[in-house]
Order: sequence, then C-alpha cells, then structure tokens
Amino acid sequence: MGLLHRLSPAALRILALLAVLAVVILFFSLQIEGYLNGRLFNRISSSVAIMALIATGQTLVILTRNIDLSVGSIVGFSAFATGSLISNNPDLNPFLLLLYSAAVGTGFGMINGALVAYARVPSIIVTLASMALFRSALVEYSNAKSITTETLPTWLTDFPNMPVLSIGTLEVRAGFAASLLVVILVHLCLTRLRPARALFAVGSNPEAADMAGIDAKRVVFAAFALSGLMAGLAGFMFLARFGNITVVAGLGFELKSVASSVVGGVNIFGGSGSVIGAFLGAVLVDLLETSLVRWAVVSEFWREAVLGALILLAVTTDTLLSRRLAKLRAKKSKEAAK
Amino acid sequence: MRLTPTLALRGVSKNFGMTAALTDMTLSLFPGEVHAIVGENGAGKSTMIKIMTGIHQPSSGVLEIDGSPVSLNGSKAARLRGVAAIYQEPMVFPDLDVTENIFISATSGLFLNRPAMRRAARDLIARIGMTLDVDRIASGLTLAEQQAVEIARALSQDVRVLIMDEPTASLSAHEATELRRIARQLANDGVSVVYISHRLEEVFELADRVSVIRDGRHISTKLVGETDPQTMIAEMVGREVGNYFTKMPSTATTETLLSVQGLSVDGVFEDISFDIKRGEIVAMAGLIGARRTDVGLALFGMLKPTAGAITYKGQPLKITSSREAIDAGIAYVSEDRRKLGLAMALPIRWNISLATLDKFLSPLGLINTGAEIATAWGYKQKLNIRTPNTEIAVGNLSGGNQQKVMLAKWLNMAPDLLIVDEPTRGIDVGAKAEVHALIRAFVAAGGAALVISSDLPEVLAMGDRILVMREGRQMAILNHDAASQQTIMALATGQKDAA
Repeated sequence: MGLLHRLSPAALRILALLAVLAVVILFFSLQIEGYLNGRLFNRISSSVAIMALIATGQTLVILTRNIDLSVGSIVGFSAFATGSLISNNPDLNPFLLLLYSAAVGTGFGMINGALVAYARVPSIIVTLASMALFRSALVEYSNAKSITTETLPTWLTDFPNMPVLSIGTLEVRAGFAASLLVVILVHLCLTRLRPARALFAVGSNPEAADMAGIDAKRVVFAAFALSGLMAGLAGFMFLARFGNITVVAGLGFELKSVASSVVGGVNIFGGSGSVIGAFLGAVLVDLLETSLVRWAVVSEFWREAVLGALILLAVTTDTLLSRRLAKLRAKKSKEAAK
Repeated sequence: MRLTPTLALRGVSKNFGMTAALTDMTLSLFPGEVHAIVGENGAGKSTMIKIMTGIHQPSSGVLEIDGSPVSLNGSKAARLRGVAAIYQEPMVFPDLDVTENIFISATSGLFLNRPAMRRAARDLIARIGMTLDVDRIASGLTLAEQQAVEIARALSQDVRVLIMDEPTASLSAHEATELRRIARQLANDGVSVVYISHRLEEVFELADRVSVIRDGRHISTKLVGETDPQTMIAEMVGREVGNYFTKMPSTATTETLLSVQGLSVDGVFEDISFDIKRGEIVAMAGLIGARRTDVGLALFGMLKPTAGAITYKGQPLKITSSREAIDAGIAYVSEDRRKLGLAMALPIRWNISLATLDKFLSPLGLINTGAEIATAWGYKQKLNIRTPNTEIAVGNLSGGNQQKVMLAKWLNMAPDLLIVDEPTRGIDVGAKAEVHALIRAFVAAGGAALVISSDLPEVLAMGDRILVMREGRQMAILNHDAASQQTIMALATGQKDAA
C-alpha cells in the first residue's frame, strides 16, 4: 500500500499494463505450444512499429477531447504517395523521402485541425468525413495502380528488418527501434516541455484554459497536425514494411489506434494519458490479435468478438480500478491532513 | 486621492447587438484597496469583468492601466498587464496537480523545471497562508483549496488587479473568512482587489470602498463607512426590498409531519433527531463538511440509513430510492443546479414537468404538451420567472431564474415535505427575497420545509427552528428567538458544546 500511495497514478497505470501483458503472455504460452519465441517478438514488434506511431498521434488528439478517425486514410495516402515518389526518383535522398511522407501527413492533419479548431465542427464529424475524402483522394491519385516492391529501392524495403540488436532469435529491428525512439521522444516532450502542458490543460478544462490565456484553438490545431505527421511517418513505415501498396492500405487503423490509446489508459474524455501507455496499449492489442490467430480454441469467426470483449474488459477494469484507487487516495490524503 | 489608479474604466459602454450591457461606466481601482462591486444579477457585473480581463472589448470609452489607455485583446493580454480574475466555480484543471495548475499560464522557458516549480508553488501557497500538498491532483481538492490554487496562479504572474467574482458563494463560513483574510492581505501588499459579492455583510466587513451598479450603469461609489446595507440594497434594486433580513411569523401547526429519531449513516453522520410540523420551516445550519446535505439525501432515499427511525405522516417511512420519496410526497431541491438539479440544454417547460411527467400523460400515454405549457406558464407568472416564453433552454436564464425553475419543478409535484439545499446560492438580493417568499407561501399552505443553508442571515430569516450540525453531529436545535449568528457560529465551529 505504501508503494501504491507513493507512485503517481500515471506510473501505476504503466505498471498495471505491463502486468496485464505478462499475464496474457503467460496464459498463451501455457495454451499454445512453442508460443514464446523470437518469431513472436519479431512479428509483433514489426506490426507495432507502425501502430505505435499512429496511436501516439491519436493520443495527442484525444488529450484535447477530440478524436481523429482519418489516420488510416492518411497512412494509406502517405504510403502510396511516398512509394510513387521514390519509384519515379529512385535516387532520392532517404531523408527527403521521409520528410515528404511527414509533410503529406501533416498537410492532411492541418486540414482536419483547421476545420475542428477554427470552423468549430465536432472532430468526430470532421474526421469521419475526411476519412472518406482522403481515401477517395487516394483512389483518384493512384489511378487504380498499385505500388509494388520491385519498384522500390532495396534500402527502403530492407530498413525495417535490419537488426539493431539480436539476442538469440530475438531481434530488435530498425523499424521498431525507430518507432520506439519517436514514442520516447514524444513522451519526453509531453512531460518536459512547457507548451505541451497546454494540451493537457485544454482537454482537462477548456474554459479554464481559455481564462488562463491559452490559445485553445491553436492547441487543437497543433494536435491534429501532429497526428497527421505521425500518420505520415507511419505511412513511410507501412511502405517500407509491405512494399506493395494498394488503395486499401491502412484501412481500419483509425479504430485500432483509438483502441490502443484507450487500452493504454488515455482518457477518452481528454486531459489525461501518456503515449507510453498508448504504445503499451498497441502492443497489447497486437499481442492479443496475433495470439488469437494461433489459439485453436477460438474459431476465426469468433476472433473479432473475443478481441473486442478483451478490449472492453481491459478498459472496464482499468476504469473501475482507477476510480477505486482515486477514492483510496482521497481518503489517505484526508487522513494525512488530519 | 491623488494616486494614479491601477486600472480605470472611463465612460465605457458595451453593446451586444441592440442590447446595452454597460452604459458610460466609470470606475477607478487604486493600489491597496479592496473595492466591492454590488448589483443584482444582470446588472452588468460580468460584462464589466470581461472588459477588465480582456475577454470583451469596449464598444466605446477607454480602459486605462496606470493612467494610460490600453486595449486588451484576450485574457492573455490582461494577465500580462497583471489583471486576473477568479470565480465562484474555480477554473482549475482537474487532471493536473497543484504545481502544474499554478504555472499553467507561465510562458518563460521551453523546458519545465519541476523541482523549481514545486518550490515556487510551495512559496506561493505559503504566501497566502495556506497549507496544501503541491503534488495533489486538482480534482481531489475542495472548492476553497481550488480557489487558493487560482490565487497562487495569479500571484505567480505578479498580479496587480485581482478580481474575485462571488468567491465565497460556495464556501463554508470558515473558508469564507479565510478567503477574506487572503483578499485583505493581498490588498495590504498593494494589489487592487475587486470583490464582487451578494453577501452584503461580507462587503461591509472586508471592503474599503463599494460601488453599486444597476442596469449596466454606475450608481454610486462610497467608502463603506459612508453607507449602510439598506441604502445599498435600495440603490441596487432601485426600490425598497422588504423582508429579506426580517423573520416572518411562524405558521407552524401542531400536526407533526416528519419525525426523525437517532438517524445515522455509518461514517457520514450520526444520531440526528428532530421533527417538522406542517406549516413549519426548519433551517439546517453548519459549515461545509457538517454533512447537512447527507441528512437531506437520507430523507430523500438516496442514502441508506444504518440506524434510527423516520416517522412520516404518522407511519414509519421506508424508502430506498428517490422515486419512492417522490411518491411519498417528499421533494428535494439540490444545491447544485448544474449537476443534479436542471437539464441546462432543455427548455424550461421540459424541466418543470420532468419529475412529474405522469401528470401530463394523455389517455394514449402521450405527453399532453398543452397542459405542460399551461403549467409551465402558470409557474412563470406565479414565481416571476423572467423569460419571454417557456421554450427557452434553462441554461440561458440567470442564476436566480434557474433557481425558480428548479423550485417550480418540485412544487409542481405538490409535495408535503420540501427539502431545499442552499436555495439562494449565488443569486441576487431581489431574487433571494422572492425565493424566500415562495418557500414561506409553500409552508403557509400546509407544507413543511427543511432549508439547508450556509448563509447565516438566510438561516435566521427562514428558520422557525434552527438545527445546527458539525462534522456529522447534531449540535443543537434552537428556537428562532434563541438563535443569533453568534450562537449558531459558536455551535457550528465547536467553540460551544452541544446543549
């Protein structure tokens, strides 16, 4: 109890997530033969490398009491646009290419941000519409063609799988490492930079933020632009990992990113949460998805339902637990005050 | 005074479309003074604050700081000039801790220096004479603590004009005293404190000068020694207000409606015993944290008693939900209009019929809109709710009129027992008198009322008998003649033991 009281709620949540991850891994390693091995880690880390970036952007938006449903379409568009640029200019500098994908994503994010922050349209409406619009823009732009691996330079397709560190069959690959680095960087910015505090302030109490002289519109706009930026980077990673890009690239990522954030303890009503949490949320969701595929007990028809139920369970437990904990803390600090 | 005012309004007017919210307002604030501003709701106080804090710009006239004209675009510009405001409902960030809340508007430096911020936060909290753990999350703080955080935030930005808008309306008497001490201390440090309050006794205790405004116009500015409450009220309303501070004769009958014996809820309150007769008003006094509201909630079926008995209309009362309480003829008017009382986005008519929708059903089970409108309109006339029609969303009404809608909602159920929690919190003197008259009329017609209030003049003006609580215990039940502000406060603060 002493420890529980000392730790900040945020740190406690991270520990809880890690505990849940451990339980899930333990459970499936008892259920599935040869479950725990390097391949599992590699598979999940490659996939999380992409989702973690999107969930990070999504978290920034959710912190401000908004939601970004267009990220899947932005990932698709950015992957395709980046792929076609490098196909046509094979000698392009890798950093310029990365910058291009980021710029494409940021551009789309700014459109969302302007509509939500300045035109004051609710974000769920704006991004529901822009999800469809950006997807259609991709269909139009692609002209019914696909990007294929053969047209891409090998440095690009090799990059995500390049081992940075290997321990036996377990490899930490460049894609995952880069993504993790971005998450940590964003986390440090969120906790250490003064302007980042405005993000929490706006989501926590918009009226008070206004009174405190915070430009809430600019903050919301920035959150969407950054979410777009992250989706743009995720598009780059998506292209590098899969090579073959069609118009359905990134479909469904918006919901998965929301699920990752929420499972990771980001409050859907804004104001609290961390990108480390969202990252762990993405790992958990992916782990469950991957493991369920290999678990014979659940037929493939039920897989989605089980995944949904597990996510619901995770979030419900989290809400109930943190409410209890808050009560306990309030009681403690009351006693301490006496 | 030959000093230059820290802040001055010179002939400021503000129009919203065709409506004039402020007309030719003139006001000077000097360093080191507590300047009270009084006026009815809708007199233009909020508009004036919004102009001083840069949220609105004057339509004409000049705002001066240190003698030179300025234009403040937005609250940030005002804060940079040293003008800050705190409100009845504190503007804190519930998810952030005390330190982060205090320094949320700070702009210098890209990186946060957490240890230095915590130290500075502690110093600021100590400077206003409070003790508060700077790592606590704001959502767990009391209203008074949240206000302290806001004051510390203003101090962190070298505040020179601090506007306090109804700061004590939601505080207990002790917390309010503490807040006034802080206001005085800030003034002694050279800050111009603007103090807006409906509690006149507080104005006389604290302020150096007082300005009355009415209908968007400046009526008077006087030293407090040069005026008195009756004059001030007359200036505020432009008419004489009758019986606000005067107790009306009791209409109590001999028929006991409710009798409570040894009522307890474990860990909340214990051993509460009293009765209420038809035609009687029992007022419940005490500080915040005295658990008066919880007693009310227990009588309304929303809190389960662990011991004791309730006799109601001569029968043992067994209720476990608000629905059963309503069916038994018990109404509970909440202190928190926004959270528990009214659906702000819905029309007046819907709010009034909400608790008694069964009365408005046609034989087919559909809502009889005609009857609903007629009833709502009847209350609008009877309770003097100021609104062009009953289709307006309750959220658009002033506080006093919202309170009347809430009373209408419960009176419409024709209850026998009316429990009213803080009936006049944050509403103006005129509306207060009207609400008091309504409750008196209700008991005179055979009902009984339990009035929970933190406003001592109100307790004395309303209560035929006064029950004083302290930290979950019943300290005394006083007859009106035996009660005074001093005796009640002595009991409520525990300076005097239960009789």
